[in-house]
Amino acid sequence: MVHAQQTLRWGADPSGGAPYVFTNPSAPDRYIGYEKEMVDALAAAMGRKPEFVPSDWETLVSALQRGSFDIIVNGLEPTADRERQILFSKPYYIFQLQLTVRRDDDRIKSLADCKNRVVGTLVNTAASRILDQQGVPMRGYPDPVSAYRDLELKRVDAVLMDVPAEVFYVRSNPRLKQAGPPFTRGLYVIGLRKGDDALKREVDAAIDKIITDGSLERILKSWNLWNDAQVEFQAPIRAGNQNAEVAFDMTTATFNWRDALLRLGRAALVTVLLAFGSMVIAVFLGMPLALGQWKGPAPLRALCTAYVEFFRGTPVLVQLLFLYFGLPVFGVTMPGWLTALVGLGLNYAAYESQVYRAALEAIPKGQWEAAYMLGMSPVLAFRRIILPQSFRIALPTMTNDFVSLFKDTSVAFAISVWELATAYRELANASGQFLLLGVIVSLFYLAMSLPMAHLARLLERRLRDRSERRVESAKLSEAKA
Amino acid sequence: MIRVTDLRKRFGDNEVLRGITFEVAPQTVLGIIGGSGCGKTTLLRCLNGLERISSGRIECGEVKLESSLSQKEYRRRVKQLRRQVGTVFQHFYLFPHLSTLANITEAPVHVLRTPKRKAESEAQELLQSVGLQYAAQRYPESLSGGEQQRVAIARALAMRPDLLLFDEPTSALDPKRTSELRTLLREFVDHGHTLVIVSHSLGFLAGAADYMMYLEGGEVVEQGPTKEVLNSPKDPRTKEFIRHAG
Repeated sequence: MVHAQQTLRWGADPSGGAPYVFTNPSAPDRYIGYEKEMVDALAAAMGRKPEFVPSDWETLVSALQRGSFDIIVNGLEPTADRERQILFSKPYYIFQLQLTVRRDDDRIKSLADCKNRVVGTLVNTAASRILDQQGVPMRGYPDPVSAYRDLELKRVDAVLMDVPAEVFYVRSNPRLKQAGPPFTRGLYVIGLRKGDDALKREVDAAIDKIITDGSLERILKSWNLWNDAQVEFQAPIRAGNQNAEVAFDMTTATFNWRDALLRLGRAALVTVLLAFGSMVIAVFLGMPLALGQWKGPAPLRALCTAYVEFFRGTPVLVQLLFLYFGLPVFGVTMPGWLTALVGLGLNYAAYESQVYRAALEAIPKGQWEAAYMLGMSPVLAFRRIILPQSFRIALPTMTNDFVSLFKDTSVAFAISVWELATAYRELANASGQFLLLGVIVSLFYLAMSLPMAHLARLLERRLRDRSERRVESAKLSEAKA
Repeated sequence: MIRVTDLRKRFGDNEVLRGITFEVAPQTVLGIIGGSGCGKTTLLRCLNGLERISSGRIECGEVKLESSLSQKEYRRRVKQLRRQVGTVFQHFYLFPHLSTLANITEAPVHVLRTPKRKAESEAQELLQSVGLQYAAQRYPESLSGGEQQRVAIARALAMRPDLLLFDEPTSALDPKRTSELRTLLREFVDHGHTLVIVSHSLGFLAGAADYMMYLEGGEVVEQGPTKEVLNSPKDPRTKEFIRHAG
């Protein structure tokens, strides 16, 4: 593997990754960022060619273990749970946390003021762990951009973020301000696979080198990240004491099974509520859609058809993202759970309307005529004669749709709703227990969808049995007669 | 009871009924015969307002239907017409989700707003009159063709129509049931009802109808008292039909 020695493959999440590593806005095929520059300097010191592997923050550790790249450089904090899975280099940066609020908000001065408010942060970071430990209600985001945008949109009351991100996103934003001074001290280290000790020695030496020769200082200064903490941290190394202890507060992930199951249970409840809520919307909105498409005047028919084709023809994920991030442009800002509820409801209404329409059309014309012959108005005939019959036809498909809606609630993870899929991703990433948690989450889904399917079968059987019982009793009474 | 004058019905360019004129006196039975496609079912659907007439006139009691009426007015009068006219379809179209009793009480309760208790006791009487008192709680799918037909008749009668229209009432019946139906229909006439029966069963109409009307190509070829039409038809086309049907 002499050839592989030549490159330094490093993984990080570039989406919303400023100022660590992110897409250069003026040259979208290039990546920039202070860590990008730092890796370039490290690679040069190691005599290797850097190769960036764009990845996803929450799966960085598992991607490293799979061998997608050789090191993680992404503002990674050494934590006890990560230490069980991977190897750490020496620290290269001391980070602090900064709380941010809206400019007009004078209620929140520190984290202590946030006990009954929701604070946004990145998933599985020092910030999220501190919020967790202090019992502050938290919402996890995949990137700082969406967290700060939701702060502006009042979907959260504050955002807690590592200073580098805060420096980059908040200092230039006139609508946001710092709440109190930065606090705690944590380390950024480079993550390596267990067993890669030779590479670790190489990386450690390179870190010492770029600190001693001042190139890291230059990079940090150019990104406004040079501060007292860095001066303190680098001083002993530059003085030649390469094994100096660094004072820092390490946050530990509070992962334990009892807590994880509790949180999964809460997520399951959210999933259930989402599924039921959006099904109610779908069931009620589906009917006027079906009627409009079936019997409405031409313009209404076209409108209903357009609605159905739009919602069936585009991915529900895109619809949710549009509702969540696109609608605020028009002044409509809904919280995540409501967005998911409405989005899934609107989407499934399109499907339900087709189920209804098929069921309504399946009723013979003679049923209408028989009702008219008895003097019924079209509305009465529909309500008393047609609807009850079509309901029986539609019921199996409706329950089927409901079961699949149950599973579709998982797309709500895209807009940070804490439902089962989100819970799985975050807990599994925090613990590395992808397999076991995966089995548990699947059991949760099954525990919810199987009773539904059972109920559906029960309903169908009851409708069928009833008619069979009638036949039985009919035969009996005939025998008597 | 009902008078039809120069009734015409066109579907696009196809004129299905070409000037039909007849009258049915109260408490009599008119049998309409004719081959497939002669227009007899369309005529029935004009009489109960399911099809709008293209020209001519239908008078039934106080209600007068004319082709010149506006859509809205036509619909309003059809509604009045249906208070007097009941229909028993060839395929009955019972409501499969309702029991026999509920099939019969549905319209009295929700259209006439008869109290449910009263509607049910009337329905029981009707069921008795058609010999189905044992089937009140059963559902249509568990009934034989003949039973379904009698439920359909009881359902139509529950709205107390003066005129009852039947479309091919014998198509689902064996000879024994056919003769029972004939007896039943004669009872209705004795109780004051007027009937119009579309059928291609000459044998059935011979015993059930007072008057006969033979349709061919959307026109009335011959009409008169049943015996006259059957025994000494004047028109060769009627003769031909009777010879083949007999």
